[in-house]
Amino acid sequence: MLLINLGLYSDGEELFGFLLKSIEEYFYINGNLVNGYLIAYLALNTLWVHIPVLIIIVTAHIFSGEFEYGTIRLLLTQPIKRSHLLSSKIIAMIIFIICFMLIITFFALFPSMMLFGTGDVIVFIDGIQFIQEATFLKRYFFTILFAALSMIAFSSMTMYFALKFKNTLTAILISLGILIIFTLLQTFVFGIFSSWQPFLFTYHIAKWQLFYVNEIPVQTILNSVYFLLGMALFFISLSYVKFNKMNISE
Amino acid sequence: MIKVENLSLHYGKQNILNHISFSVEKENIIGLLGPNGAGKSSIIRILAGLVYPDSGKLFIENKIQPDFTSLREQCGFLIDSPSFYPYLTAKQNLLLIKKINKSDSDLEKLLIKVGLTDVNKKKVKHFSTGMKQRLAIAQALLRNPEILILDEPFNGLDPNGFHDLINLLKELNKSGTTIIVSSHLLNELEQFANSFILIHKGNIALNISKEELLQSKKRVAFTFVEEITQKIIDYTQSKDGKIESNSQVIFQLYPYEIATVVNDLVKLKYTPVNVETLNILQEKYLEITV
Repeated sequence: MLLINLGLYSDGEELFGFLLKSIEEYFYINGNLVNGYLIAYLALNTLWVHIPVLIIIVTAHIFSGEFEYGTIRLLLTQPIKRSHLLSSKIIAMIIFIICFMLIITFFALFPSMMLFGTGDVIVFIDGIQFIQEATFLKRYFFTILFAALSMIAFSSMTMYFALKFKNTLTAILISLGILIIFTLLQTFVFGIFSSWQPFLFTYHIAKWQLFYVNEIPVQTILNSVYFLLGMALFFISLSYVKFNKMNISE
Repeated sequence: MIKVENLSLHYGKQNILNHISFSVEKENIIGLLGPNGAGKSSIIRILAGLVYPDSGKLFIENKIQPDFTSLREQCGFLIDSPSFYPYLTAKQNLLLIKKINKSDSDLEKLLIKVGLTDVNKKKVKHFSTGMKQRLAIAQALLRNPEILILDEPFNGLDPNGFHDLINLLKELNKSGTTIIVSSHLLNELEQFANSFILIHKGNIALNISKEELLQSKKRVAFTFVEEITQKIIDYTQSKDGKIESNSQVIFQLYPYEIATVVNDLVKLKYTPVNVETLNILQEKYLEITV
């Protein structure tokens, strides 16, 4: 994040000039559109692939690492309940995701604010959206909250695969495969494919963008929150059942 | 103290344990014997709550338990091929287990007790198998358990480590700890166990106490230099013995009968050059392993 900021600081003017050329043909822009808030918004695009990948690598290891090291036998022969052990790991996973999102927020927001200052933001979501400077931080806070929930839902799925296959690499590859396939399916917005969309978790994860629409569609976002909560609960419950019934025979 | 009834387990189509039952008396050392793949480790894993059996009941002090995980409260376990967090030191690993158990054990003393000294800064990933085995014993002892359940604890130990462990187990048993040890090493177990359960293909082939073992008949093989004659054949048959070859006879004798038979053979001018005894446990073990 810091390097991107420095790169943009030294050579960004040319890049943004090119990107904003089409807008400037139709609008008279008073002031500088390239500011810290815009860069922080652009940094959110890591939510599509980069952040999920980094998170599932750690999540998969949190759960299947114990099987790979063989330390699961050490832990489960102590007088603790399996459900307590799994709960502590789930809490660790959630804390990790929240900390990770906070660190991302810090590095996406503060260096760019310091280097480029603040201001109104123009983004392209269903047309041009003008985001007032005063509302940006509030929108950003809710985006990060929503993104954390998305990542918890996605990690819950990885956790289930990690417990099922007891192997970090398998869990990562399956989760990545699902992420890629669902992202591809999401791009098919015609015919019967469009009816699939609400069932794809990637469709709901992408709803963070709606925080940057002038009039935030609260109900649409809430529907995605319910879906992601349901997904997280489904995979967490499945993981409890799997872990509690599992034979540790190797 | 502990009674296990009707324990059975299968993986896929393979039967691992076939409705076995046994009991463990307080302050005993039970040797769980059997060749590799007999089902010993499966019994230990069920007792540790790692594997769920198809059927089986556990009684502690004659009270039926809801499942086998109840044993974890009062047992220390060493599971075959023990594993630890490789990036932590022995003490850090023990500290983690100590916190889980809310134990107040002195880790320094515990490490000395199992012979793990001078490993303060060494990470477990650099430990030899024997050192890991010692650390596993230390973690099993962490809660001062009433019952110690050890699966193949002699694996990877050098002769010194082996004798240290036997002495430690004897010492713990003297102070009241009940011990269940599984091993495929019969001679080693015979040195300190006072009860034996021989497992073969998921069944109990023999369940015998050391006292019974000492008092039971032994298979005694007498080998002679010269070929045996009719005199020896007649004598052997009179004692229900068996002619094994033209220079060896075999009897089933109580320990107090051995000296009499040797005297009789000497009187018949047939001094044996070799007398080989096998108790019933050794005989059964040989039978199932050969």
